[in-house]
This record gives sequence, C-alpha cells and structure tokens, in this order.
Amino acid sequence: MSTIKEYLTLDHRKCDELFALMEDSAAQSLDGAKEACAEFIHESERHFQMEERVMFVEFENKTGMSQGPTAMMRHEHNQARNVMKQLEEARASGNKDKFFGLSETLMILLQQHNMKEEQMLYPMAQQHLSADSDRIVDMMNSIIVQ
Amino acid sequence: MDFNGLSVDQAPPIFAPMRFFLTAPLFGILAGFLIFFSDSATLMSRYSIDSIVITHAMTIGFVGFVMLGSMTQMLPVLAGARIPNVKAVTTYSHILLVIGSIFMFLGLLKDNNIFNIISFVGLGSGFIIILFAILISLKSVKNFTATVRAILTSVLFGLFTVLMGLHLLYSYISYEMSALHIIVANVHSVWAIFGFAGILIIGVSFQVLPMFYVAPKFKSFCKQKVVWLISAGLILWLFLSFFYEEYTLVAKLWIAIFFWAFATTVWLKLNRRRRPINDVTVWYWRSASIFLTLGAFVWIFDEYFKHEYIVMAAILIGGFILSIIVGMLYKIVPFLVWFHLNAKGYMSIPTINEMINKNLAKLQFFLLIASFVGFIFSFYMPEVLKISALSFIFSMIVLEYNIMAPMLIYKKVLKTKPDFDMSTFS
Repeated sequence: MSTIKEYLTLDHRKCDELFALMEDSAAQSLDGAKEACAEFIHESERHFQMEERVMFVEFENKTGMSQGPTAMMRHEHNQARNVMKQLEEARASGNKDKFFGLSETLMILLQQHNMKEEQMLYPMAQQHLSADSDRIVDMMNSIIVQ
Repeated sequence: MDFNGLSVDQAPPIFAPMRFFLTAPLFGILAGFLIFFSDSATLMSRYSIDSIVITHAMTIGFVGFVMLGSMTQMLPVLAGARIPNVKAVTTYSHILLVIGSIFMFLGLLKDNNIFNIISFVGLGSGFIIILFAILISLKSVKNFTATVRAILTSVLFGLFTVLMGLHLLYSYISYEMSALHIIVANVHSVWAIFGFAGILIIGVSFQVLPMFYVAPKFKSFCKQKVVWLISAGLILWLFLSFFYEEYTLVAKLWIAIFFWAFATTVWLKLNRRRRPINDVTVWYWRSASIFLTLGAFVWIFDEYFKHEYIVMAAILIGGFILSIIVGMLYKIVPFLVWFHLNAKGYMSIPTINEMINKNLAKLQFFLLIASFVGFIFSFYMPEVLKISALSFIFSMIVLEYNIMAPMLIYKKVLKTKPDFDMSTFS
C-alpha cells in the first residue's frame, strides 16, 4: 500500500488531470463542460475532505498542532472552494473570459498550495503518522464526500 | 481578530518581492538607452566599458533583481524556508543594490574612483546580505527536493560570481589589472549565466512546467543528476580556465550539451502539456528554448569572447534568460496581488487574467523578441542597432506598466474596500 505522502501526491496529479480535461472541454463549449467541471470540483472536494476529516485530524491529534500548517491548509482549501464556486457560476452563465480567468487563478492557487503540502506537510505527516499509515490511507480511500 | 490570513503569514509581505520586480524594468530601460547611444563596433568587444555597463544593467539590474525578488517569494512555497527578517533584508539589500548598480555604471563610464568605491560597497553588501539570508533560510529545510538543491546550488554560484565581480570591480578602483583579470572575467560571466541564472531556471522549471501547464514530469535522472553534472562542468571550466586554457572547449561542450538538452526537454514537455492554454508565458518558454538551443551551439562553434559579444549576449542573456524571467513575472505578479487581496478577505477582485491586459503583454513580447533578433543582426548591419534599442526600451516601458497595473489594482482595492466576504473564514 502507498504511504500517506504517495497517496495524496498521486491524488493531486489526478485532480490536475481532471482540471486539464475540464479546461479542454470548456475550450470547446462551456455547456458541454458541465460534467467535466462537476467531476473536477467533486474530486477536489473529495481530496480536501480526505485531508480535513482524516489526515489533518490524525496529524493534529498526534502532534498537538491545530493552529499550525493544517490550519493554513484548511484556509487555502476554503479559498479554492470559493473560486470553484465562482468558476461553476461563470460556466453556467456562459462567460468564457470569466471562466478562464478564474481557472487560471484557481490553477496557480492550487499549485502553490499543492507545492506546500508536497514539500512540507506530507513529509511531516508521513514522519509523525508512519505507524498508522495504512489505516489512514484506508480511511481516506473510503471517505464519502459530505 | 486578525484577518490578514493564515496563509499569508508565512508568505513575505507583498512589497518584499514587488520592490525588486518594479525596479527591474527601469534598469532595462536604462540598458536600452545605453545601447541606443552606443554603437555596434563598441559592443562587439566584451571588454569595452559600454559593453560591461550595459551587460550589468541587464544582468544585475534586470535579471538579478527579478531572481532575488522571486526567491523571497518562492522559498516559502517551494522549500518551506523563511528568510529571516525578510522585510529588513529585502528593503536594505534592494536599496544597496540600486545604489551599487547606479554608481557602478556611473563610475565605469566616468572613470570616477569615488563612484566605483560606493558601487563596490553597495553591490558587495547588498548581494551578501540577501544571498546569506537565503542560505540561512535554506538551513531549516527538511525536505531537500531537486528544486531546493538547484536553488542552493544557484545561490552558491551566485555568491562566487559576486565575489569574482567585486575582485574585477576593485581593479578599476586600484587601477591595477592582475594577470588573472581576463581569466576571472571568463569564469565570472560563465558562472553568472549558467550557474547562477541557468541552474535556478532549470531547478524551478522542474516544478513549474508540470504544475502550471500540467506537462509531463521531468525524469528522475534529470532531477537528480543534471544540476550536479552542470555544476561539475562549471567547476571544470574554472579549473581549465586557470590551468589549461587551451582545453576550455571541453568544459564548454560539457555545459552547452546539458543546456541544449534542457532546451529540447522544455520544448517537448510543452508540446505534451495537458492544459490547452497558449498565453504569453508559454510563448516565452518557447522563445527561451529556441534561443538557448541557438546559444548553446553558437557558444561552442563561435568565438564567444572575442568579436561577437553582442550576438552571444543577445542570444543567451536576452533570448534565453530574459525570456524566461519575463514570462514568469506574468505568472507571479498577478497571482501575488490576487493572493494577498484574497487572504485579506476581498473576494470580488479581478481574476489573474484580468489584471494584465493580454494585448499589452503580447505587444511587450513581440517588442522584446524583435529587439533580440535586431541586436543579433546589428553585428552584421550596424544600422539596425538603434531601432532594436528603441524596441527594447518600449518593451521595458510596457513591461513596467504591466507590472504596475496589478499593483494599482491592489492599492485601489485596499483603498475602496469593495466587499469583505467572511464566508472564507467560517
């Protein structure tokens, strides 16, 4: 089984792929991109919840750091959620310029967020939670998005 | 309650990088005017005072300022490294570097010893403060990725480049050129272009291309070995320059081949990128790739440091390095403004694409690339030099405007406070 770091890093790449598919589809037609947009937003939300409801909680319990890096990452998730909401609104209203302006903004926001997680938080999490790694990956894998 | 944002407290204040970004095109404009009032015969020699001053207006004033500004911003994101006292470090080093650069240009052009001494102190202290602060911040890094190793390597080459530069500048103060002057100048220039700037660009591209364009990842050989191999080539260049000058071609081949391979890799990865966007930043990566390929071969096959200085400088410093860093500015600056405003709680703000006028960015691209092509041809057709210099000056004026535009949005939003959405903090 993959480690927490590998599992979540791979999930970032999966979301990147879905993001690219969404943009590809939106470049053809915003109406036609409804499904791709929904799938990207759903998978991103799933990723955020895997972290917020499982990994961050375990990390915070283990290290006692609830106002440290996880709080910072939760805040950035909320920033991304806000942009994703606006992105779907722009898609639904057929505003292509707005859609691609928001998708570019979201892309950079998510990538700098992913870099921080992959360079810092995941290695820290792996170090502190290595004994429970399999269980945590299992829990994340079986999460149902709320 | 502090709404300055949880994620912003680990990022440096917006003015830490922005003061460097806003200054850089001003040095570009200065370099453009110096080229305009020079002539192509003078610029054929790298040892003419005009060539030295113009090169450093570009390399310290433009390239150096953008690289240092970017590092203050990138280190927390890429490496989790915080520069100690970032506000003081960036403010003082910026002021010292501006003073040092201007007095260097004046001192060399006017042959004024006092100006050269001021420049020596300004550049020496400015560079040392910020480079050491970066090195100290890297000490705390736990996860040494390929990109972080490249940044560290680049900074070390940067430090030695600065020390060699100070040695060279001192010879204009003491009026004594040592027997090693030309050899030190050879190592200084090659380490500056390929070590300080080149390695940083390669290291950052490991992250940036896959992440921002969803391009295929770099192979682990690339990420693990290439920076070491290039560093070995650069050290070999130093060794051969000092002891076996007739064999320096070996080191040249070594360095050039890896940079050519990098240029090709960038081109192929962009071809296979998953995002359909084709904006000016992609164009800049493409142009850098073409100029670097050309530069690698011209450097090997031509008389680099003898008669065609303007051709090599236009290709490598201009076409390769400037292309990439201007392209990256178009990504970094609007995002910084958006990120800082968003983290302060402002939600109804322009998107990244709305902060810089796309047509002005394209105009700036064409003016800049046209100027590089013109500089190359000015070696063969001297009458092209002035029009190319004008093209370069205009591209730098447009670039300054394009960087200022997002900052004006930032100031306007802070002043007018259009909305304050609390939902993000719930």
